[in-house]
Amino acid sequence: MKTKLALAVMLATATSAALAGPIEEQIRFRQSAYSFLGWNTGKIKKQVVDHPETFNKDYVAAAANAIAATANSGLGELYGVGTDQGIGWKASRLKPEFFQKKDEVTTVANAFNEAANELAKVAATGDINAIKTQFGKLGETCKGCHDLIRIKE
Amino acid sequence: MKVTIRIWDLPIRLFHWSLVLAVAAAYITATLGGNLMDWHGRIGAFILGLLVFRLIWGVIGSSPARLGHFFPTPPKLLAYLQGRWHGIGHNPLGALAVLALLADLSVLVGTGLFASDDIAFTGPLHKLVDDDALNDKLSGLHAQAFNLLLVLVLLHISAIAFYGVIKKNNLLVPMLTGNKTVPKALAATVTGGGPLRCITAVIVSGVVVWSVWGGVEIIKPVASAPATLTTPSF
Repeated sequence: MKTKLALAVMLATATSAALAGPIEEQIRFRQSAYSFLGWNTGKIKKQVVDHPETFNKDYVAAAANAIAATANSGLGELYGVGTDQGIGWKASRLKPEFFQKKDEVTTVANAFNEAANELAKVAATGDINAIKTQFGKLGETCKGCHDLIRIKE
Repeated sequence: MKVTIRIWDLPIRLFHWSLVLAVAAAYITATLGGNLMDWHGRIGAFILGLLVFRLIWGVIGSSPARLGHFFPTPPKLLAYLQGRWHGIGHNPLGALAVLALLADLSVLVGTGLFASDDIAFTGPLHKLVDDDALNDKLSGLHAQAFNLLLVLVLLHISAIAFYGVIKKNNLLVPMLTGNKTVPKALAATVTGGGPLRCITAVIVSGVVVWSVWGGVEIIKPVASAPATLTTPSF
């Protein structure tokens, strides 16, 4: 019985590791995803906020879609146990409390996904003022996670 | 015999209360985040201007405002602690607190110029630093300098409350009205300052702030060529 249980645990561990990869790989994917998000928020910021005279509807919509797609890609899978300690492209800044604050994390993460989906919707209309407002709301949801589970250097 | 003197000139009082409001506004905008971060940056620019102004006014302002007047040298500090110090304006211990506040605010503004919230806001000099780890460090220092500022402000307010309640020396009203009643022997020493010098200091501060914001485009201009000319179209 004990052997069976141990085997089952081993199998489950192996499966989840196979899905999301070892710790370093999860952190690398994670950091890449947020870096990609940063590239796209930067594009929107530039054309919608800093230089609205350069606004290009398709360019901004493409960036908003990329953000929504990344948000919806199931990033939670990259937050396996132990991924607060490893080094990806650089040391992870995930607070160890992440694993004790599952409910709060879920709330802020869902807020981000909803804001990202809404931004993609608004971006499709090409209404620059509405995009700017929703872009600000998206930024607030980014901050929600940063404040909760990200180590300040 | 006691007389009433203009201990804090108008520029110093405007500086002081503008700084209080600006720091509060900077804190609120940073806490709320989102699109308000751009206002956080503008308020930071204003605070930079205030600090530059204070530095200039510390040289050409009216005498109690001058750094040379209140700089807390060890002999002055010792005299104050032994109860032998008699003067107007910041006492040597208070002067230490003033310098600590100004120094910390300088670090706060200085790091803020290079900081990033890793969302959609960067300080105007952020792109001058290519090193990611250093960028993170500067942003972290920005947050730490604010925590220190909270401690220093708390100390500042506590000291004023202590002087008001225990030592019966009201420091708050003079910072509002500019006037303080002091023994006549100390009164004749307030000189300097004036509107012309104040306008000059404001203009110089404005030019410094403008240079910091605009200058970075000269040092490291944004690539202005359309992306389609130099990169593939996928």
